[in-house]
Amino acid sequence: MGVTEHILLGVQAVFAGPEALSVFGFSLSITIVMVACGFLLGIIVGGTPGLAGPMAMAISLPILISAFGYTPDALLPVLGFLIGIMKGATIGGAVPAILFNTPGTPDAYMTTLDGYPMTQKGEAARALRVAHFSSASGDTFSDIVLIVCAPFLAILVEAYLDLPEKTSLLILSMAFIAAVVGGSPAKGLISAALGLLAAYIGTGEDFTPRLTLGNQGLASGFSIAAVVLGVLILGEVFKSIEDLWQEGRGNQTQATKIEQKPGRLDGQTIRRIFPFIARSAVIGTAIGALPGIGSTLAATLGYTSGKMRYEKTHQDGEQRFGDGIPEGIAATEAANSSVSGANLIPVLSLGVPGNAAAVFLILAADSIGGFNPGPSVFRMPSEGINPELVIAFGLFTMMMLANLMNWTVGGVFMRSMGIMTRIPKHRLLPIILLLTLTAIYIQETKLAAIWIAIGFGFLGYFMRRLAISPLPFIIAFILGGRLEDTARQAFSATGGDPWFLFSSVTSIVFLIMSVGVVVMLSLRGRDAAT
Amino acid sequence: MKESDPLRKAGSTNTDLVLGLIVLGVSLAIAFIWIPLDVETGVFEKVRRRIEIGDAFAPAFAATLLGLGGLLLVVEALRSTSLTRLSGSSFFFAGGLLLAFIVFFALLRWTGPVSVGLFGQEGMEYRLLRDTVPWKYTGFVLGGSALVSGLIVFVERQLTIRAIAIGVIATLVLILIYDLPFDDLLLPPNGDF
Repeated sequence: MGVTEHILLGVQAVFAGPEALSVFGFSLSITIVMVACGFLLGIIVGGTPGLAGPMAMAISLPILISAFGYTPDALLPVLGFLIGIMKGATIGGAVPAILFNTPGTPDAYMTTLDGYPMTQKGEAARALRVAHFSSASGDTFSDIVLIVCAPFLAILVEAYLDLPEKTSLLILSMAFIAAVVGGSPAKGLISAALGLLAAYIGTGEDFTPRLTLGNQGLASGFSIAAVVLGVLILGEVFKSIEDLWQEGRGNQTQATKIEQKPGRLDGQTIRRIFPFIARSAVIGTAIGALPGIGSTLAATLGYTSGKMRYEKTHQDGEQRFGDGIPEGIAATEAANSSVSGANLIPVLSLGVPGNAAAVFLILAADSIGGFNPGPSVFRMPSEGINPELVIAFGLFTMMMLANLMNWTVGGVFMRSMGIMTRIPKHRLLPIILLLTLTAIYIQETKLAAIWIAIGFGFLGYFMRRLAISPLPFIIAFILGGRLEDTARQAFSATGGDPWFLFSSVTSIVFLIMSVGVVVMLSLRGRDAAT
Repeated sequence: MKESDPLRKAGSTNTDLVLGLIVLGVSLAIAFIWIPLDVETGVFEKVRRRIEIGDAFAPAFAATLLGLGGLLLVVEALRSTSLTRLSGSSFFFAGGLLLAFIVFFALLRWTGPVSVGLFGQEGMEYRLLRDTVPWKYTGFVLGGSALVSGLIVFVERQLTIRAIAIGVIATLVLILIYDLPFDDLLLPPNGDF
């Protein structure tokens, strides 16, 4: 079967799956319904300060797996729900940023700079429409780049990279993530090394499990759910609770009393903001395609770049960025939303998760089985079908479907989310904590897993307190096993050459780049690296 | 974000330098004590006259990376004027949180068995009632409510009826989400019995 047949099968898998409900005689498949539910939940989560897309993904995962089971048919509905959350959360974050000067997600901080001043001028409705239009545009652009680039990159990796080069590429990916995430390459390296160590506890090929300190409970290694949820979610919850405790109480957001004008997005405004959307979409997509660099940096660069362009083309005396102009919102929202699609480029082409949301997609695929994100997904079989390729095209279809929802119902739903800001963060976080612990227990059904997750939660908490980003830890933990397996295979394939990593020019270049990125960013100093 | 981060405030102790030295020491201990004592095979091993990568290879790589990170952090800390500072209140908070978790676990684990012992039929064990209402919810409701309410009270610095009500309602909602729709899911601690 050729590419076209695989694409058609992927689209068919989404639209012609088991029927969930029927609307005006049209049958809606369970996958479509799950994408829609995830998308709406994502907007709610994004619009709630203190919550984030990855938290909702973490909590939903055990429920989804229980509902759909561990069969290949479960993959698309579960991944569709998670993709829906990921996309919904990116637009939801702008709502509290514009209405209450409180970013719903960290990447919406720059949106407050022009969004809230517009609200103060009575233009909240217009600001929300600009944010939605820019976010949906950036997201769509990013998805198109993903669909075009990921298969080609994966084919290149499969065609030109042998086992030693693949090992070096994994090392380069981890070195890059360690160097660019957070303010210090040294701390990134420490975080990644700790993640690798955690991955190697209790595993190995020998009959006796390694690094267990004689504890039989560690003989099969740490559960991926306990580690990921502990470091990423519990660590963040602990830190946020302490911040609120230090402040005395959660900051209560006051609803604005300013009279608001009805606002709509006219052609003139779209023409004004379009160059800023285009520029930021390119910036966000380029940043998203690099593993480890998050949407917050994309938003900052998009805003700064937009500001520079605006100041060049506008005379003194006119309104500037920060005074409450639509261009400021457009530059930020297009940049942070265009990260989400492109972030899946390293996942699908290299098997390297680029951000926390991608980690949960990999976790879902890993839990259910039948889909291993990486270059082999795009391998074209000489005969028959490649089920993983069908899933990949199904994934692309769901992303475009979520985009369609974003363009149609997303704006209306997003604009009704102002109410979520009124939920006090200090009452929400303990509930999230219990929800996460329950989700871990549901998956592992033993109290020891909760203790392990809490232990990793404290690790995540202290890492944050010491300004060490937990993302390199998580990515190294997930990639650790694959790195070791690839290295073992490469070593055997080169006939036991201890210098197998230096057996080809490409591999040497990757290794030089790995050392170079860490050393260069370290020499530039931690402040320059951020 | 960086400017407002309390960690970035200049302090008298260069925390990053201390952290770098500790990490360096830990990496040496892992490489020269833990790995040799707790991994059966070496970095390379001979299997059927073929040399293969042993189980110590990957942990040794991780320990090397950790050591390099520590060394680099020491260099960064010596060059940099911006210092990370870990305050004592973080340890106080972490200790308090750990205590809260111990209470949560005690209630979660033992409320069910104790309540069956006190109010259940004579000779009946909790293990036999772990999937029976109301026994299966007792530990989760009491432990979960205590954790949620306790943390709200901790942040608000006052005990209120509202905080207790939020804790109870949150656990009941979780039961509605996780337990009622699914026959095959077990709420904590029922899988351990």
